[in-house]
Amino acid sequence: MSDIEDMLSVTEPKVDTERALARLRARVEGERIAPVMRGGAAPHRIGVNIWVRGLAAAATVALVATLLTVSGVAETILTIFEPKQLVAVPITVTDLNGAASFGAYGTLTWTEQPKPYDVPDIRTAARDSGMTVLVPGNLPTGVGTARYGVMNKTTATFTFSADKTQKAAAAQQRTPPPMPANIDGSKLFITGGPAVVAYYDDGTSPAGATGASGASPFAGMPKLIVAQGKPPVVQSDGVTVEQLQSYLLAQPGISPQLAAQIRAIKDPSSTLPVPIPVDMATSKKVTVQGVEGIFVGDSTGLGSAVIWQKDGIVYGVAGTLTEQQVLAVANSLH
Amino acid sequence: MEVADRLRLTTSPGPGMPPAFEALFRKEYARVVAIAHRVVADADEAEDVAQDVFVSFYRKHPADAHYAAPWLYAAAAHNALNVLRSRERRGKRDAVEAIRRDTQTPDPAQAAETAETRSEVRAALARLPDRSAALLVLRYSGLSYEEIAAALGLRQSSIGTLLRRAEDAFRREVTT
Repeated sequence: MSDIEDMLSVTEPKVDTERALARLRARVEGERIAPVMRGGAAPHRIGVNIWVRGLAAAATVALVATLLTVSGVAETILTIFEPKQLVAVPITVTDLNGAASFGAYGTLTWTEQPKPYDVPDIRTAARDSGMTVLVPGNLPTGVGTARYGVMNKTTATFTFSADKTQKAAAAQQRTPPPMPANIDGSKLFITGGPAVVAYYDDGTSPAGATGASGASPFAGMPKLIVAQGKPPVVQSDGVTVEQLQSYLLAQPGISPQLAAQIRAIKDPSSTLPVPIPVDMATSKKVTVQGVEGIFVGDSTGLGSAVIWQKDGIVYGVAGTLTEQQVLAVANSLH
Repeated sequence: MEVADRLRLTTSPGPGMPPAFEALFRKEYARVVAIAHRVVADADEAEDVAQDVFVSFYRKHPADAHYAAPWLYAAAAHNALNVLRSRERRGKRDAVEAIRRDTQTPDPAQAAETAETRSEVRAALARLPDRSAALLVLRYSGLSYEEIAAALGLRQSSIGTLLRRAEDAFRREVTT
């Protein structure tokens, strides 16, 4: 036995796997945690992709956030949310799982469906998105070449429904506050994208595989992602915002802490809250490309991301890289 | 996986745990606990770490992902090291007491001494850079170089060198 083996020795723990599985099952059910599945693994279950979920989440946050400053003046079409800055909002597992999804409050109708697709090169990505696509000036060792994907501009209309809200709440044995009459039937017009995503896999792996040996913890995830896109914009056909605010923040599942954090946002109609799951990640403010950004570190210590907004575009750089590497890539974008 | 497929990564709305996840849990749980236990030297805390690791995986990754096992091993090491560092911040007494619970020997004096030694060793481990500590923990939990490389996203050919450096650094920390 080597000296280190001796130093690190412990009594082998006795493990009851079935009991542990039962404990995990109870936690997953109690906290209503949904498993992730690959799109191709269960095609009949594919209903909402992450873009839709992202947009819906952004719209939800936008709704809650914008209600804080916009007065109750109803105009025909009112831009109630157009983010120009970002702020980190810590959320917990309870916040994530306790709140009803956006779909519980009404119906989302796509006027332009999100259709992500691969493009052969950066030129096509720029042409299709209508944006100047920034590229890193230097890449960390071990990062290969980029592949590009484009998300088209998407638009959707969300119509609030008191009836649907009631039914969704009843199915979960919850009693939400009644939806005010002027919210019922009112519409939100949501625009998101376009966006461009560049995936850089590990330089040593064949295309499509990642990680030094093809099976790193983040394999399936690229070594580096660089994304940019137009932030979501939400317009309203005249819902009374104070009522919407008090209605949404009073929903079961929105913790007082989360509500307080959202209320604390100084200029909610132009601030895009970035949810940070505090049990899985940490965040801090950083300066990137001369503006304030948010750095997010995965709690496993293996992943990092930075997100910022500049000149009307939201940018993100993420990967299985250190904080210094991710920030260096972000600052080298040109 | 193509870019468009990545963007279509979905969550399942269906109830219950997928059978593939339960199979993964049954296969890997004991090893995940063992890795965490190597770090925290407390069986209860190790099981808590393992639960968090599986929940985290369940929430973010498909159970049939080919990288499932190395992801779980790496997360077990990193999460356990985080627990260890929190414990160290709370003070030596807390650290020794946590390990004391886990030290199975009939002689109280010997148990106290063993707990003290294990605590000092783990304090040294907590002071190491994350990657070095994780390398040591995974290696001395019985993982092969290939498995460590997969777990930490390193080249297999560099594991030997990195491991020797980590061992040297660890010895220095223990003796300071």
